[in-house]
Amino acid sequence: MSMEYFAGISDALRLTFVQVMILANLSIGIFLIGMYINLKKWGMGSTGYGLEPSGSIFAFPKMLAYQMSEHAHIHNQSVLETFFLDILFQRRILQRSPLRWFMHFTIFFGWMALFALSLAMFLVEMIFLIGEEVGYAHSLPEFLEPVVFRELLAVPNDVFSYILLVGIVIAIYRRLFMTKVREATIAYDSILLIGLTVITITGFVADGIRTGRFWGFDMPIEYAPPAALFHVVISLLFCIAYIPFSKYIHMIAIPLALLANKGGE
Amino acid sequence: MAKREPSINTENFTAVQLMELDSCSRCGECVNWCPTYDASGEDPGLAPRDKILRWREYMNKSYGLRARLFGPKQISEEEIEEFKDDVYGCTTCGMCATVCESAINTVELWESMRANLVKRGNGPFGKQSAFLKLIGEYKNPYMEDNANRVNWLPEDVKVEDEAEILYFGGCTAELKQRKLALATTRLLNKLDIKFTMLGEDEICCGSALIRTGQYFINDTAKENAQKNIDNIKARGAKIVLYACAGCFRASLIDWPRLTGKELPFKVMHITEYLQGLIEKGEIKWEKSIDKKVTYHDPCHLGRHVGVFEPPRAVLEAIPGIEFIEMERIEENQRCCGAGGGVKAGIPDLALGVASTRVDDALATEADLLSSACPFCKRNLSDGRDAVGAKDLEVEDVVVLAAEAMGIDLSDTPK
Ligand code: HEM
Ligand code: SF4
Ligand code: SF4
Repeated sequence: MSMEYFAGISDALRLTFVQVMILANLSIGIFLIGMYINLKKWGMGSTGYGLEPSGSIFAFPKMLAYQMSEHAHIHNQSVLETFFLDILFQRRILQRSPLRWFMHFTIFFGWMALFALSLAMFLVEMIFLIGEEVGYAHSLPEFLEPVVFRELLAVPNDVFSYILLVGIVIAIYRRLFMTKVREATIAYDSILLIGLTVITITGFVADGIRTGRFWGFDMPIEYAPPAALFHVVISLLFCIAYIPFSKYIHMIAIPLALLANKGGE
Repeated sequence: MAKREPSINTENFTAVQLMELDSCSRCGECVNWCPTYDASGEDPGLAPRDKILRWREYMNKSYGLRARLFGPKQISEEEIEEFKDDVYGCTTCGMCATVCESAINTVELWESMRANLVKRGNGPFGKQSAFLKLIGEYKNPYMEDNANRVNWLPEDVKVEDEAEILYFGGCTAELKQRKLALATTRLLNKLDIKFTMLGEDEICCGSALIRTGQYFINDTAKENAQKNIDNIKARGAKIVLYACAGCFRASLIDWPRLTGKELPFKVMHITEYLQGLIEKGEIKWEKSIDKKVTYHDPCHLGRHVGVFEPPRAVLEAIPGIEFIEMERIEENQRCCGAGGGVKAGIPDLALGVASTRVDDALATEADLLSSACPFCKRNLSDGRDAVGAKDLEVEDVVVLAAEAMGIDLSDTPK
């Protein structure tokens, strides 16, 4: 549901592709700067209990490596177990609440899959565009033609989008209608959820306009490119650039905490 | 660009701990389970999630993007004082770490926050500030002459000068709850196990200083740990036994960390040792204890170091005991409320938590609520009195075992 409409239609759209390229690089740049600031911030800590803060950018990786190699008194589980069961499968959420696990797993899985599909689509577009410039485009296998590749991804895109949507709907329901959750919600929480919701919905709408299906709400086809562009822009900014500065950081920090603490107490 | 100094610093935090502040997903599990938050009438400041949030915001105000560009944002002293009060309203029970969906090692985080705030001049809390002076001066927090640790032991108790086994009694059992120390020593005697003790040379294990964030001051805790280790070695001990969960946890986890070296001996909780003897059939029971008994896992023995089974094995082996579990046990146990300096600092809060735990025991209709830590026993007894459950006995597993072995403890001195 993301880049598919770029497929070499007109020069005007190709221009957009260049803009998206720039934006993508910008997003990655902002992400990297943000992560550098976070690493510096974490590096304000020490590399051992009771030691002086070192202020070095390497303090965090050092302390992480130290903790991962240290023998734990309980739950001395292996890195593999942590990676598969705690990080990918998110066992700790499941242990606390199957519903929340289902909510999160659908968000996590849907998001990761769509991210991967969008990345793949983007790469195919690039290979094709460069191919057109350099002149090898005609020798590419057929499935690497953007129009064909887009069709290949159509069903998985749909499936994962709906999986993501299911999780988001549960999360929104919890945040709105469960008193305890609602009362504890702060901007930090809601921004993540609102942003994700907007991205998901705009993705559906852009795709709907292009294909003329339900989510297009009968909008004219000319709206397809700008709608898709909007979706791409906020996706890049929100899902990449914003990670280090928001609750998104949890998708990096939680796996790190799980590794450091060998899956936790 | 204004170059103000940040209002907080990162002393006593490790780099991983600072990262952990960013890994809280605000799921709220810790809030559901925190015993002090519950007993305080849900004081929002005590919620673990909230403490993480506040320190994360302090970090971002001091070292985040905006702070880097435009200088740090000030945090008012009142706010930091209030935070300090909240971070001391915690028994370091570890329940929040057990349920944390992000696997944050919260207890270490609270202790680092405390140490940081002590260094900054805010902590510790109330009466806790006396610990340092007392332990420095008296080598125990109870202002007792250190000779009183063992000079009261009755004539019949035989303690070797040197032995492979050493019983580390701990301040609370030796100075305040002597029945436990007497039970342990007589029990070992009765089993013909030669053991030694540190006696007057014993120094507080450091738990009180470490848990309240004061361990680094003058290196007192580190020096005391080293002295204890040296003295234990000098008595030829290969195995050190503990009947106090707090001392056991401090020795097992904190001593190696403070001194930077592995312990040159094995440390065991006495119930682990007894379990081994029971399995070998070496304990002869002489008396039946015909009571319905439940067991409270001390946080520092259970969740912190994973000793769940041995005390239960001892209870189940004692003839006559009908063993019954409370609803919240083992990893999910509810704290007694005494730990982390709360008993000394905020006694009302400690009592509130204890009362809830006593209610848990009453729900099982047990006659006796047992534990394996003198500190838990003390606070659970207070909780029992507070809820007026006169018929509920509170006793240590080791005392029960001694009694079942036919050991008389009626001559325990005050
Ligand atoms: C390995 C990676 C990840 C781990 C371990 C993880 C873990 C968690 C946990 C423990 C929560 C709290 C859930 C609760 O309220 O019970 C959470 C919340 C959330 N996570 Fe993740 N997460 C990961 C990756 C992701 C990814 C890739 C996304 C994609 C967007 C994501 C989106 C969210 C959202 C939207 C919430 C908030 C739900 C709400 O507002 O109620 N997470 N995550
Ligand atoms: S350690 Fe126990 S008392 Fe302290 S915040 Fe966590 S759950 Fe609450
Ligand atoms: S349980 Fe852990 S992740 Fe959840 S709110 Fe508490 S500290 Fe944060």
